Amino acid sequence: MHAGVSPSRGLAAGLAIVISLSACGTPPPDATTLLKQSSQRMLGLKGFHFQMQISGFTGPDEPVQSAQGDAHPPALHARVNLKEGGILLEVEVIFAAGNIYLKSFTGGWQQLTPDEVAQYFDARSLFDPQVGLFAAMRETTKAARGNVEKVNGHETYPITGQVSGARMHELLTLIRDQGSYQATYWIGTQGSDLWRARLTGNLFDAEKPATITFDFSNHDHPVSVTPPPLG
Amino acid sequence: MITPFRSHRLRSVNRTVLLGLTGAGLFLASLDAYVVVTALLPMLKSVNIAVNRPEQATPIITGFLLGYLAVMPVAGGLSDRFGRLRLFAACLVLFAFGSFLTATAPSLAQLVTGRVLQGAGGGALVPAVLALAADLYPAGNRSPVLGAVSALQEIGSVLGPLWGGLITASSFGWTWIFWINIPAAALLLWALWPEIRAGGEERRPANLDWLGALLATAGLALLTLALYAATPEQSPVGEGVIWQLPLALLCFVLFVWHERRTPHPLINVRRFRDSSFTGSALTNAIAGAGLMVALVYIPVLANAVFSMNASSAALLLFRLMLGIPIGALLGGFLAQRLRSYRFVAALGLVLAAIGFLMLSGWNEGSLTPHLLGSPLTVADGELLLTGFGLGLEIAPVSAALLDAVGDAERGAGASFLIVMRLVGMLVGFSLVAGFSLWEFHRATAHLIPPLPGLNPNFATQYAIYVLKVKQAIFDEYHLIFRATAIALFIGALLAALTLRPLPRPRWR
Repeated sequence: MHAGVSPSRGLAAGLAIVISLSACGTPPPDATTLLKQSSQRMLGLKGFHFQMQISGFTGPDEPVQSAQGDAHPPALHARVNLKEGGILLEVEVIFAAGNIYLKSFTGGWQQLTPDEVAQYFDARSLFDPQVGLFAAMRETTKAARGNVEKVNGHETYPITGQVSGARMHELLTLIRDQGSYQATYWIGTQGSDLWRARLTGNLFDAEKPATITFDFSNHDHPVSVTPPPLG
Repeated sequence: MITPFRSHRLRSVNRTVLLGLTGAGLFLASLDAYVVVTALLPMLKSVNIAVNRPEQATPIITGFLLGYLAVMPVAGGLSDRFGRLRLFAACLVLFAFGSFLTATAPSLAQLVTGRVLQGAGGGALVPAVLALAADLYPAGNRSPVLGAVSALQEIGSVLGPLWGGLITASSFGWTWIFWINIPAAALLLWALWPEIRAGGEERRPANLDWLGALLATAGLALLTLALYAATPEQSPVGEGVIWQLPLALLCFVLFVWHERRTPHPLINVRRFRDSSFTGSALTNAIAGAGLMVALVYIPVLANAVFSMNASSAALLLFRLMLGIPIGALLGGFLAQRLRSYRFVAALGLVLAAIGFLMLSGWNEGSLTPHLLGSPLTVADGELLLTGFGLGLEIAPVSAALLDAVGDAERGAGASFLIVMRLVGMLVGFSLVAGFSLWEFHRATAHLIPPLPGLNPNFATQYAIYVLKVKQAIFDEYHLIFRATAIALFIGALLAALTLRPLPRPRWR
């Protein structure tokens, strides 16, 4: 007598296959694809919060130590900590409608000319869609994906690679335009959000190493940056 | 309230050694009470906070005071319940842990948490050691020992800023102010361990007014938050003042309501009907506020406009701190001799107020002129006078309050004195910090700094700018010191109007 497979058993087996397949999941995209997806995602956001920390040798004329603020590339509003003669000072910076504004130790907002900006830490290109950090992600070479890591409570794929000095110099004029630097990006396993980016190498001096770390949060929270009232 | 009880085992051990060891712990904690005032700028720098955001340093100071105030009301009762030495050990561990958190803080949040725990551990040591001293020595011989314990605490707090300044300026750096507490606390615990483990102390159930302590602490914490100007360029008080202040007042009203009903109150609130009690409590708080203003703003002034390092700033402040014990000793003697609390207390506060008025006239050249050809400068004399005045009022104001409460409530009265002084420090400093920074931002709102680089006149413009900023800082300090002087004059008036004369001595 032929004992056929009962419909309930067939359904169970089918379900088991579906469950086990979905448990295995699809393999994550390769490192280069992840970088492109994340770059696209970050440039498409309505806004985000960022923290930037520079450690190591920050250069004889490079007083910026850290910055934090909100951005809707290329516009941004940040508080920047500068080292001036051994003491730490905070200034506020706005980059909006193509102009850069500064609020220093005392007094109100003043608008800087492009020549003046070029003397200091020029943040105009930091998140610029064409030459900023997110654009540089797409040009990272030798990209390799590591095992899942948690960054600020979020599961991410760490991706390491190389970026050229010339490319980084476009992003931040104070970075040396020679050789290449090590870049690491921590990209969310879900949604391609960039949670952290780190640039390491002899960034500000041919002999001495330094690291710039960016931490991102509040992805897609609307950020609107307008020119401040002067004076 | 501290109640001595017989402990045969404790009496059998060398009580001088026991008191010496616990006293050393108390000294260690009291050193840290104001230790940060000369280390604030490097502390802020290490958690990446800029020098032009000094408002963020406020919680480093208020956090310690709040922690201290939170444990004071219950520490005496806890030492009854668990034993003096056990409470001492637990508090020392808490203090050491707070020190560890402070020393290793990567952020302001951890720095403040560390200071709150340091305050809580250090604050509870005071009643624990006083109660232990009362256990170890019989009633007739107790007074000098209790005096010595209190003196140890006062000396510690006077030396704290100097200690902090010297370590901060050394190659060790500010974190060693706190690192050093850990081996010191461990050494003390190791030495005391056989006694702690033997558990020979008598223990008894204590009536702890948890609800009262909670309401008082919640009220003070809310008041501190309400007065904390996190963005002084916009407001001299906290953003949440509209809801925090009424809530704080509600906590205080509930506290008074509860204290009137509970059988074992923290403080007998009916005593406030006695003008001598209320007057001395308020005078004590005003003097506390005055001391705190001097403690914080003299080192900051030294750093900001006299360009002194931490140890020089500490030495400048030490001139004022030195006047305090001298004044305190003389204040007790004078009050007894003249048989008047009100005269000596008012005199002390008037002298301190005059001292603050003199300090409020300081400018860039104020530290150099010498006093009538002596090696001392005029500034030294002004600082000594201010400290001397603040010291002179301590004994008469304390004695007036303790006389007002009578024998049965003396322990609670002594705790209340410390609490009121700390409340004055906390509230006074919070108010002054917020309003002075707000005023500084208002005064410099249109003072835009010149930019270097392309500007050919930059050097001249920058020199003029720095002068203007220094002047704005001086103006801010003049305002702070004048306001403090007015508060101290009010305190003097209060003392003159309310303090009762000394009672007639009772001969046995």
